[in-house]
Amino acid sequence: MKKLFVLLTGMALAVSAMALDIGKPAPDFTATDINGKTVKLIDYKGKIVVLESYNSDCPFCNNQYRTGAMQALQSDLAAKGVVWLIVNSVNPKHPSYRTPEQAKKEWADKKIIATAWLDDNSGAVGHLYGMKTTPDMFVIDKNGILVYAGAIDNKPDPIHDPKTARNYVREAVDDLLAGKPIEVSQTKPYGCSVKYAD
Amino acid sequence: MRAFSNLLIVIFLGLAGNFAHAAHTQAQLILSADIARPGDTIWAGVDLKMESGWHTYWKNPGAAGMATKIQWQLPPGVTAGEIQWPLPEKLPPAEVTTYGYNDEVVLLVPLRLANDLKPGPLDLKADVSWLECKKACIPGKATVETTLNIGDQTKASADAATIEFWQNKVPKSATNLTVYARWYDSTNANPRSLLIQIKPPKSGAVDFFPDASDDFEIQPKTKSTFDEYSNSTIVNKFVKKFSGDWPGEISGVIVTETGNLRTGFEVKLLVSERPPAGETISSQTSRESGTGILPARAGETPALLSQSLWRMLLYAFIGGLILNIMPCVLPVIALKILGFVGEARSEPRRVRKLGLVYALGVLVSFLALAAIVIGIKAAGHKAGWGMQFGSPVFVVCLTTLVTLVALNLFGVFEVSLGGRALNAAGELASKHGVAGAFFNGVLATALATPCTAPFLSVALGFAFAQSAPVIVLMFLAVGTGLATPYVLLSWNPAWLKFLPKPGAWMEKFKIVMGFPMLATAVWLFNLAYGDYGKRVLWLGVFLVLVALAAWIFGEFVQRGRVRRGLASVIVLILLIGGYVYALESRLDWRAPIAVEDTTGPLINSPDGIDWQRWSPEAVAKARSEGHPVLVDFTADWCLTCQVNKKTSIEISPVRSKLKEINAITLLGDYTHFPDAITAELNRYDRAGVPLVLVYPKNADAPTIVLPEILTPGIVLNALDRAAR
Repeated sequence: MKKLFVLLTGMALAVSAMALDIGKPAPDFTATDINGKTVKLIDYKGKIVVLESYNSDCPFCNNQYRTGAMQALQSDLAAKGVVWLIVNSVNPKHPSYRTPEQAKKEWADKKIIATAWLDDNSGAVGHLYGMKTTPDMFVIDKNGILVYAGAIDNKPDPIHDPKTARNYVREAVDDLLAGKPIEVSQTKPYGCSVKYAD
Repeated sequence: MRAFSNLLIVIFLGLAGNFAHAAHTQAQLILSADIARPGDTIWAGVDLKMESGWHTYWKNPGAAGMATKIQWQLPPGVTAGEIQWPLPEKLPPAEVTTYGYNDEVVLLVPLRLANDLKPGPLDLKADVSWLECKKACIPGKATVETTLNIGDQTKASADAATIEFWQNKVPKSATNLTVYARWYDSTNANPRSLLIQIKPPKSGAVDFFPDASDDFEIQPKTKSTFDEYSNSTIVNKFVKKFSGDWPGEISGVIVTETGNLRTGFEVKLLVSERPPAGETISSQTSRESGTGILPARAGETPALLSQSLWRMLLYAFIGGLILNIMPCVLPVIALKILGFVGEARSEPRRVRKLGLVYALGVLVSFLALAAIVIGIKAAGHKAGWGMQFGSPVFVVCLTTLVTLVALNLFGVFEVSLGGRALNAAGELASKHGVAGAFFNGVLATALATPCTAPFLSVALGFAFAQSAPVIVLMFLAVGTGLATPYVLLSWNPAWLKFLPKPGAWMEKFKIVMGFPMLATAVWLFNLAYGDYGKRVLWLGVFLVLVALAAWIFGEFVQRGRVRRGLASVIVLILLIGGYVYALESRLDWRAPIAVEDTTGPLINSPDGIDWQRWSPEAVAKARSEGHPVLVDFTADWCLTCQVNKKTSIEISPVRSKLKEINAITLLGDYTHFPDAITAELNRYDRAGVPLVLVYPKNADAPTIVLPEILTPGIVLNALDRAAR
């Protein structure tokens, strides 16, 4: 429990921070990526971090990759120094589960441009962030504060051309880099359910 | 035959489309009539047949998924209405609940035929797109079509019965139900708890399937309970807000279940911000048991804020009055009595003035408190009554202040604006009186906050969730209540005649009154122990240095004749040295030790109640195992809580009753304001502790909320009821 004392007119009152609220510190996690490397969120402090809940068998997710929109976004943000973590929480018994080898192949086939692909088959990171759908997006600022949570864009269907949609992640990162307040900081995520273990 | 050709078309279009053919859902267009007249309205149905295990979604898909879409291509003169959605099912898993259809659904659409339609066949066509899911999800799309003949009489089709069957599954408007909705949590909570009250009550589980919204999500999790007092069913939902304000209106479907028959009722509900206020009070005071039953406060009608505000202001005022006799404020009473005795024989105008100044001191302090609460709320945090006692810095300051007040009463030093108290006595005494009265008001308020009184907790629970002007009004009402007895006394000096004449006894009385003040200092010192552990010794050292400084100040600066300058310097050295060395260096007063682990086991006295640490999970676990549960939310600084515990909880009849009914006892420690407990207090419309809850053994029975001031009878009675 983190405590913070606010002194006002001689009186002090205790308040505390709650997990996973916009404007509050994003919860830290440790995970293993598909290359066996340990990834800690806290290691990226000082950089903007994007979390993407991922399952390419999901048509909503696939729509972003099939059209190249997601890769374009990843590439643009990478050029701006943004860290992009793919979180795959599909459980190992599900047909959409990818072994690290399959994941590496998919990474190459889809020309994914991300910092790391986290094998979260226990669902730990997914549950920590309350990820409900694929895709479900999170943007964390340089100080580790969660600034956006929700949908990738404003067209909740698997058939639209994402390039014509309003991309909330791109907007949030651009606002951060421009030092502006985030215009849309929370939306309802859409997509398939995350295939957590039962 | 036509159906077969449609099927071929569906398959063909499906294959020809841009997307993978949806192999697991077949779509077909059916009509309620083969022949219809111009001016008729007929029903079209998009029949979706899913393979076993596959499902498609309702208009609000829930946490994931996508609603089926129908895009019509109709000839001129035919207009399609909105889709009528049959009642869906809630689909697992619990963590990502969706609303949808297994096996088959027919989505119904009314088609209006214009009056000027020419007789003959019409081609009706629609593009249907959906998402079908089993383990994985696949988007599906089909173009369905059929032919309608316009003639001079209506002839039902072979599919009319199917359409009627599905029409019966479409939720109807709720004509025989009275349904109200209101927020349960304060606006700070997100997700925020919402209660929907349904009359007459429904047997079995009741659910609410909401319509979809971009700005908020009414989460799928539901709890429905029967509330015997309002004779209604209460459905508890949680709403997560994404953007904008909290919705003032929600719509969706009330779902009831009788045996295997599920029925839906379409509702549109205004969500009132708060319960009709007085309900809580009446439920707590009018019942013979003296216990309040939580959902009883879900009111009959959404109350107008103005009405409830007046009532709440009255409660705040009464609560403030009662605060005067609560243990926290008692030491200050000593000061006030003394003040009155001292001033009673003065001219009435002066007495009145002092009474008003005291009131002003109280009101200004309450305004400051209101400003702090508003500031904290504006910063998006949760505020609570008495929460400043969770701050060690505040506790240290107040301990020092109260020690000084005690020393002042003992006559160690005088409080006056100048050093020459003995000269120009009249003038200075008047200033002294005015400043003293104001200070008394401030001190009374500061010491009142760890206490809560009957009426007051209800009023504050209401106030903390309101807008800034209402918070200010409510706090001023409490302050007015606290100050009123003294203002009244000062305006009716006749009431003061029973007081003895001022004289030498006053000096002794003053000293006697210093002892309760000293006791208060000890109590505060004990609070500081919780924040600093063994380091608290240095607070004691600091207090001794301050006391020494106070004595030198009184003896040599205020009353001394020579070397007053030197004495002043020594006073300053003692104070600064004490501050720098004891407070800053040794106590490190702005860095309290880490809050103790709140997850480990509690230390219980061997023959006392076996307290376990409170958590929502612990409550749920105990109830699922069929135990009644007693929850005590308490804090070290909460005097009312300690009194309750001594008189009515940690007593042998309650201990044996708890054993007899096999109850689980949970303790929620609010000393350091954990968020989880603040949220739980808000849920019960409380701004602070004490809060004692009893959960009955029967999981469907409502929670029993005990009043702020307990008696053994109240606790035993509630436990008896919980065991039933």
